[in-house]
Amino acid sequence: MNNIALGRYIPLNSIMHRMDPRAKILAMLGMLTAIFIPTGFIGYGIMAVIIISVVFMSKLKLNFLIRAMKPMMFMLVFLMIINIFVLKTGYVVVDIYGFKIYSDAIFQTLYISIRLMLMIMITTILTATTKPLDLTLGIEDLLAPFKRFKVPAHEIAMMISIALRFIPTLIEETDRIMKAQASRGVDLAEGKFKEKILAILSLIVPLFVSSFQRAEDLADAMEARGYVPQAPRTRYKQLKRTWRDNFMLLIVLAIIIAMVALAISL
Amino acid sequence: MPIAFKQVSYEYSPGTPFAYGALNGVDVEITEGKVTAIIGATGSGKSTLIQHLNALLLPSKGEVEVLDRTIVAGVKPKQLKSLRQNVGLVFQFPEYQLFEETILKDIIFGPINFGVEPQEAELRSLHALNVVGLDESYAEKSPLDLSGGQKRRVAIAGILAIDPYVLVLDEPTAGLDPQGSKSMMNLFMTMNRKYGKTVLIVTHDMEHVLTYCDEVIVVDKGKVILKSDVRSFFKDESLLVELNICPPKVVDMRRQLQKAGMKLPDDIFDIESLAMAIAKEVNGHE
Ligand SMILES: Nc1ncnc2c1ncn2[C@@H]1O[C@H](COP(=O)(O)OP(=O)(O)OP(=O)(O)O)[C@@H](O)[C@H]1O
Ligand SMILES: [Mg+2]
Repeated sequence: MNNIALGRYIPLNSIMHRMDPRAKILAMLGMLTAIFIPTGFIGYGIMAVIIISVVFMSKLKLNFLIRAMKPMMFMLVFLMIINIFVLKTGYVVVDIYGFKIYSDAIFQTLYISIRLMLMIMITTILTATTKPLDLTLGIEDLLAPFKRFKVPAHEIAMMISIALRFIPTLIEETDRIMKAQASRGVDLAEGKFKEKILAILSLIVPLFVSSFQRAEDLADAMEARGYVPQAPRTRYKQLKRTWRDNFMLLIVLAIIIAMVALAISL
Repeated sequence: MPIAFKQVSYEYSPGTPFAYGALNGVDVEITEGKVTAIIGATGSGKSTLIQHLNALLLPSKGEVEVLDRTIVAGVKPKQLKSLRQNVGLVFQFPEYQLFEETILKDIIFGPINFGVEPQEAELRSLHALNVVGLDESYAEKSPLDLSGGQKRRVAIAGILAIDPYVLVLDEPTAGLDPQGSKSMMNLFMTMNRKYGKTVLIVTHDMEHVLTYCDEVIVVDKGKVILKSDVRSFFKDESLLVELNICPPKVVDMRRQLQKAGMKLPDDIFDIESLAMAIAKEVNGHE
């Protein structure tokens, strides 16, 4: 439970960690856009090299990113199976007693897998190198121009930061309740279907009850301290943008242009 | 059948930047048929230690012997159910684990999981409900409508109904009123004296340690630094100072009187004997 890698902040000291969160969010959006441009295996190969070098720049371990992708593996296997049955174009790769697996099924799956992996890597780099609080400050600042159109930037940022704040708490809570129920003979791995349903209920119900309790307590605590969402407020932490951030955004822009060019020329 | 830790180490989140060694070579044997207190500062590793007893946590190094089982680091144990049936563990703030519609259903959940026949399980559950001091009118109520202390009782009844051989409790009295915690501690002592269960209690309350426990284990920074019987533990003044433990009131009072010049024996552990010894001393002078 505590080994979840997806979306977790890793406290290290690297160039990427020191970048401005606003710039990092924009860069991530830019890179995601670049990944969406269909550039074939050549383009994705280039993107992969770039992204992996960013991973090294952030001092993250490749191992950690691979673990972040684990939850996706199941989905990819599923996709593979569907593709094998549905896609019947290209040349035959394997022929098992008349059941033919075509090249397109394999390439298509590979193609989507690489895309997804690159996307997860990009977002993981962002969340692993940016403190959750900085991330929400960044989101709030980026949304600020939309306040004119009645977008509640501060409230959105507050909601996100509360949600992020409670993820580890919820994981801890789940872990605790799982252990408590395991002590009462719950076995999530084995047992009949009906027993399994009851086992899951024994986990979900207490989790919900305590989450609502926590939400209520938090709301009371905020109110007791006079929290008003619309109140004008200053910030203790000021975000600072440096030439490095601008430089990073320039590079991302260059990558997008290059990818578009590549896509057109293909 | 021993309960023993042999050079047990445990690391949380191994192989990540968050890796943390919560236990570092624990070596201790727990005496069967006794009430043992586990004490130590917050974060010293008490909860981590006791979760090894029913294999909720598996040692990173070393081995744990529990009843007829040996859990060795690196070997995935099988048939954990029988172990968990024999070692009942009540967590810190167990009131959060209730989930059924009625209290009876919640208590019965454990025994049914361990394969006890429904009728037998119901009898046991009603009995457990009584034992923790709630009458049968509670059986059909929703556990969510109870007060915190009552919920705790129900959660403990849920473990008692499993009828484990060893009972392990993580700070069972934290946050209860003095009367409630007293009856709770009495309950665990009854479990030991009447039903012969081995009881382990994690606690911060030295009065409880003195009044209800036979032996004491001191955990510090992931190590068991001492195991002793309760009386000789509280008799050793320099040891208590060294461990930064405030002695129970009776012991403290006896000590202060001794310092003030009154001649009292060292082995006084309850108010009656203290009063008696003082009376004897005072009368003897006249
Ligand atoms: N799930 C976890 N992941 C990482 N570290 C943990 C985890 N649980 C506990 N720890 C750490 O292990 C150490 C021992 O924790 P443990 O809960 O065993 O302490 P304790 O002696 O029971 O304290 P308390 O008296 O506060 O209950 C603590 O420093 C804690 O921060
Ligand atoms: Mg604890």
